Amino acid sequence: MIVAERKPFDEIKNMVSGYKKVLTVGCGTCVAVCLAGGSKEVETLNAELNLAFGKDKIEFGAETVERQCDMEFLEELDSKVDEYDALVSMACGAGIQFLAERFPNKPVFPAVNTSFIGVNLDVGWYEEKCRACGTCVLGLTGGICPVTMCAKSLFNGPCGGTNQKSCEIDKEQPCAWYKIHERLAGQGRLDQIIEISPPNDWSNQKPRKIIQPGYEERVKALGR
Amino acid sequence: MMAETTNTIDVTINKDVLVIGCGTQGLEAAEAVAAKGYKVVLVDDADLPAPAANAIEVMANTKVESLAGLAGDFRTCLANGSGRSERTFGAVVVAPRYGLAPLNEAYGLALNDKVVTMTQMEALLDDGAFKETLVQGEGKSIAFLSGFGQEGDPAATSRVLEAALTVQQAGNSRAYVYANNVKVGARGLERLFTQGRNEGVVCFKPLEKPAIEQGDTLKIVINDPVVREDVELEPDYIVVEEAVVAGPENLAFAEILRIDTDLDGFIPSNNVHRFPANSNREGIFVASQPADAANVALRVAELLDNGVRTVAKNAAVVDENKCTICLTCYRCCPHGAIFWENGIAAISPVACQGCGICASECPMDAIQIGDFTDEALTADIQEAVASVSGTPSIVAFCCQNSALEAGEAAKAFDAELPQGFRMVQVPCAGKVDVEFIMKAFVEGADGVMVAACHEGNCKAERGNTFAKWRVEEIQKRLETIGLSKDRLIFTTIASNMAEEFSMKVRMFAEQL
Ligand code: SF4
Ligand code: SF4
Ligand code: SF4
Ligand code: SF4
Repeated sequence: MIVAERKPFDEIKNMVSGYKKVLTVGCGTCVAVCLAGGSKEVETLNAELNLAFGKDKIEFGAETVERQCDMEFLEELDSKVDEYDALVSMACGAGIQFLAERFPNKPVFPAVNTSFIGVNLDVGWYEEKCRACGTCVLGLTGGICPVTMCAKSLFNGPCGGTNQKSCEIDKEQPCAWYKIHERLAGQGRLDQIIEISPPNDWSNQKPRKIIQPGYEERVKALGR
Repeated sequence: MMAETTNTIDVTINKDVLVIGCGTQGLEAAEAVAAKGYKVVLVDDADLPAPAANAIEVMANTKVESLAGLAGDFRTCLANGSGRSERTFGAVVVAPRYGLAPLNEAYGLALNDKVVTMTQMEALLDDGAFKETLVQGEGKSIAFLSGFGQEGDPAATSRVLEAALTVQQAGNSRAYVYANNVKVGARGLERLFTQGRNEGVVCFKPLEKPAIEQGDTLKIVINDPVVREDVELEPDYIVVEEAVVAGPENLAFAEILRIDTDLDGFIPSNNVHRFPANSNREGIFVASQPADAANVALRVAELLDNGVRTVAKNAAVVDENKCTICLTCYRCCPHGAIFWENGIAAISPVACQGCGICASECPMDAIQIGDFTDEALTADIQEAVASVSGTPSIVAFCCQNSALEAGEAAKAFDAELPQGFRMVQVPCAGKVDVEFIMKAFVEGADGVMVAACHEGNCKAERGNTFAKWRVEEIQKRLETIGLSKDRLIFTTIASNMAEEFSMKVRMFAEQL
């Protein structure tokens, strides 16, 4: 799924100030699952904006559709947006753009920062898994993404910095190519590791993690 | 399988019972449950003695590999040498395994052939050759240490008294017991103690832990509170007590069954709102004490009865059009009452306790709780704020298991409460949603209070914790908006603390 984090409140507030009637649109799929832009986040954001602006200055409406990345679901908004002079979207970048495309006459503002494609480790806790590089090599790498996990995104690794299972940038960061080696060896397909993939010219970081605000304690309590 | 009446439904449930882990407790529980007329399957990963009751099916050397489903319909996979089998049960009883850890270090002693553990001494006393040395020549003197390395209990006391009596009865040897508290609060223990005394067992009750020298010989010095003098003894053997520790199997059981352990790894976790033999999941019971067998049988019969349960229809209901199966509710339900089916979350009316944690955590607002629907609570909040004229207006979300009763009592005793104070009843503080708190502020409340059960005392295990996290999170948000975070507080209270409650409310009002 796509993982997003809500934008700092002041940033959202500045974007909508000056409008009279604003519709906040949530998305019921990825961003709801990662607790950043579902129905609850829409209501909460509107309440916060109401408190910040005072109840009467700007009127905030709320709608949450199943997915903002499906035109059929955006269609449900057709009859509703006319009365608003701006839209706030809590979907990922793809959803926001689709919403803007559907209603080209309305200013559309993002309320979340789209962060990564990742997996759910526990409630409110996510880990990046894929950089959507467009040239998926998972078939050669035993199902472990070197673009995401390797600090240099090496398609053909490891580099000289591989250090006893860890990456040279950080002891806590596993070496992607060590893991790939172990996985392939375990499946008896180690010969594939020498197949050359054309290199990608990317500079990269190690996988990012998000713990949604309010869930830090829970993650700590789980001791993980 | 479900027949509807007005507000309740009858649910047909499985009546077989799985008992995991044998030992005395497991065996007794299995027999007690079988005696109530239920079919029992007893599994253990080791060999099993044959139980007396023949209604019990015994599966030795068998592991419970997985457990899915809910009370009345637990689906398990049992594995042993002859393969795997899928079995369904209405209830599960687990008899946890314990280990023993010697407490010699508490007395500054190293274990050797003269300083031995209780378990080692019991083995020696079973050994004919050793017993012979107790009779030969001058015999032996054996000192037992009990209750200084840990708070003693009847089970530990009973082992000491039994062993001391055996030594004394050998004829030519003497047993000395150094006890902190002699805990005889179990059947037959008082008699055992008296019998020992009559046979010549010497019992000291020093006020402080005995000072012991461990060299070529052993020496114990105490100040005897009765004769008020130092008493010295050079025993041939010192026997140190042992602490009961949770076996690693406990954690494995807990994980497979999705039940909580306490901090030391014991199951079940403690909860004052629960009967001792109950775990945090409906339908999973724990037999860890001798007295538990009867209790377990009682609870099992209460749950399974004749195989039909009448339950509230609307305890917690999922709106199938809203649920996105994000699994948040499944992960947050403290009673393991949620699963998923046909693309949406489903809540078992048998296992659900109506706490509302799931409803508050659901990002799609897809769950409604019986008498506490979002609509009803929103109306309560509006009503609470609207009914106040003057300031400050305070909306207090009160858990009906604690704070609500404290508040009602405070009113009944005419305790002084601020004019603008209003309570909103919730089934558990875990039902207090971020949205509700924000709603109260938007409606115009000056202050919002979330009042929960004390830590470790929540009927829903974690409802108070969830509420506390949410409050902390909203406080941060209030500050970002530019409002004072002190307009929102979280507090814990017990139902009998009316005076404290009214004081907390008054202090909050002053600070507003
Ligand atoms: S808009 Fe983005 S977040 Fe929403 S469903 Fe589509 S991809 Fe997922
Ligand atoms: S290689 Fe990794 S980042 Fe690239 S598409 Fe495949 S999974 Fe995604
Ligand atoms: S939390 Fe809500 S949306 Fe998620 S699975 Fe449960 S009912 Fe469905
Ligand atoms: S109301 Fe409580 S017990 Fe019932 S399903 Fe929801 S979280 Fe579980």
